[in-house]
Amino acid sequence: MRKLDGRLAILSMLVVVLMVTGGLVSGGTYLSLFNLQSMATQVPEIGLLAIGVMLAMCAGNGGIDLSGIALANLAGVASGLVMTQFIPVYDAPWLFTLCFTLGAVVVGILGGLLNGLIISRLGITPILCTLGTQMLFTGLAVVFSDGRSVTIGSPDPMYELGNGVIMGVPYSFLIFLAVALVLGAVLRFTPFGMRLMLTGANARAADYSGFAKRRIFTVTYTLSGALAGLAGVIIAARNVNVKWDYGTSYLLIAILVAVMAGVRPEGGSGRIVCVVLSAIVLQLLSSLLNFIGLSNFVRDFAWGALLLAFLAVGRFQLIERLAAGIASGITSARVPRASKG
Amino acid sequence: MTKTFKLGCAAALMISAASAAMAEGTITTVVKISGIPWFDRMETGVEKFAEENADMTISQVGPAQADSAQQLQIVQDLVAKGTDALAVVPMDPAILEGIFKRAMDRGTIIVTHEADNQMNTMVDVEAFDNAEYGAALNARLAECMGGEGKWTTFVGSLGSRTHMQWVGAGEENAKQFPGMELVDPNNESFDDANGTYEKAKEILRKHPDIKGFQTSAGNDVLGVGRAIEEAGLTGKVCLVGTGLPNPSAAYLDSGAITAIGFWDPQKAGMAMNAVAKMLLEGKELTDGMDLGVEGYNSVTLKDGPGVGKLLIGNGMVLADKDTYKDYLF
Repeated sequence: MRKLDGRLAILSMLVVVLMVTGGLVSGGTYLSLFNLQSMATQVPEIGLLAIGVMLAMCAGNGGIDLSGIALANLAGVASGLVMTQFIPVYDAPWLFTLCFTLGAVVVGILGGLLNGLIISRLGITPILCTLGTQMLFTGLAVVFSDGRSVTIGSPDPMYELGNGVIMGVPYSFLIFLAVALVLGAVLRFTPFGMRLMLTGANARAADYSGFAKRRIFTVTYTLSGALAGLAGVIIAARNVNVKWDYGTSYLLIAILVAVMAGVRPEGGSGRIVCVVLSAIVLQLLSSLLNFIGLSNFVRDFAWGALLLAFLAVGRFQLIERLAAGIASGITSARVPRASKG
Repeated sequence: MTKTFKLGCAAALMISAASAAMAEGTITTVVKISGIPWFDRMETGVEKFAEENADMTISQVGPAQADSAQQLQIVQDLVAKGTDALAVVPMDPAILEGIFKRAMDRGTIIVTHEADNQMNTMVDVEAFDNAEYGAALNARLAECMGGEGKWTTFVGSLGSRTHMQWVGAGEENAKQFPGMELVDPNNESFDDANGTYEKAKEILRKHPDIKGFQTSAGNDVLGVGRAIEEAGLTGKVCLVGTGLPNPSAAYLDSGAITAIGFWDPQKAGMAMNAVAKMLLEGKELTDGMDLGVEGYNSVTLKDGPGVGKLLIGNGMVLADKDTYKDYLF
């Protein structure tokens, strides 16, 4: 049997606890379909950025991606400016949505590639490199847009992408889940995923094993950039407008989500499913606090407390020990059986 | 200590209020950022309105960080919660267009403030007409200058639309006084008191006989006031501009600042809530109506840039040494 993942267990538990609490406190409105959908449309932006941060962290070498939200904004701004110039938004809504999405993801990939090349070829520490590119991306977005917001418009497919639902589930949330699923599979089952994790776990061993470390870093940061580009698309689809200074607080929240999900900042360990759950937990918590009408400073406090609690749980492996204790209690209570060998 | 206590009480209240059925409707005010003096002052107005309408659930919230994404999240959660009316001071009107539209489609009442370019709002409440405000500042300056002498203007930046409107209206007003001579107008201050101080010193050196300053950004009066005070020109040079009572108090007392102009966020908060309540009750807004809030007794109603109306009050306040103590924030 696979060892119990304490992080996954506690995150799942938190989801349930928060939902029940929310339902009780709000007299049911919190669990109404509308609010569940509303919360689900809010998760993808931050969730995609957090997966980007996670990939960078997993690659080790002090990996982190601080440029995520800046790149997402740049992708929205750049693609928006170009596409609205050439394609009539409301006359060719499908073409526009498709081209805008492609454009934004391409900008994201290019930005991520830049990060990857600087880190792998020039050997710059990721935190410094992505801090620099973060400013670069923000600056470019300001210059391109003159510091103003860029109106993308809301033709039907675009609007649906940001706010529409299929069988009750928002499209953007489905896209987020699909991306998470694919990347989860890539990390788990492909040679690339395995090398990425192993490089993060022990860079020297990876060197001696002949891993193409540079390529791994480049691809990892490019993936992170692509995710930022996709986040940019979803932001634009939700808000009709994009602007260079949107979501400045996301930078730290994305890192918070990743660390809460048990991604080790030293590299080599982290699960996408936990990042998804962690993003959902943060969303449930902040929406719950908004429902109660508590000051938003309380939210920051709650997040901080949650993060510290998680670090403690992870450090002392509380859940695993608890589970082991329960398991041994059960087995000792029963008639001892011969182990399966 | 008291703050924690208040917070706890508020939390308990909110929880009980949330679980008890909403009485006569809920109005939530969402500000750009909570915990800064301007919006703390606005909260006093919201609380006052809540006292006057005890049957309604009225409160104010705002993000802890100045980020339009955080404000968006609060608005979205409040809409999902089923709040009847939202009174929002948008951090960035463009970012909120999407959610406002969806909220109104769902039947939520949206009132905004300081967002005269917001397309998706029912009513945008503005404290005053920008031209009238600029003219009023200048009239106060001209009165102090005795209608003659050199004067100059400061704006936050040349791209700041409202600031340019204010000084433009000021210049227009000064034309009544042939003795007033405008020199080196539209200095950019970038709302930085230190930079403004340096620039004001330069101007005082260049024009030793200058008699007046009209400033626009909130910190300009502080910079120019300091320059006037240090040059020993207190009482000889007049200074009228936008500023807040608390920070300007020392210079108002010394006389380095002649008068400050502003609008009272407390009254603006009350006015927004009053409009939201009227819309909730299905009442019609009319030109010249009285919102029952000081400074909004005879409002001007115009078509806004989008689907909604633009409601302009006469909520400007000019305060000097004798009157600023009524507005300490």
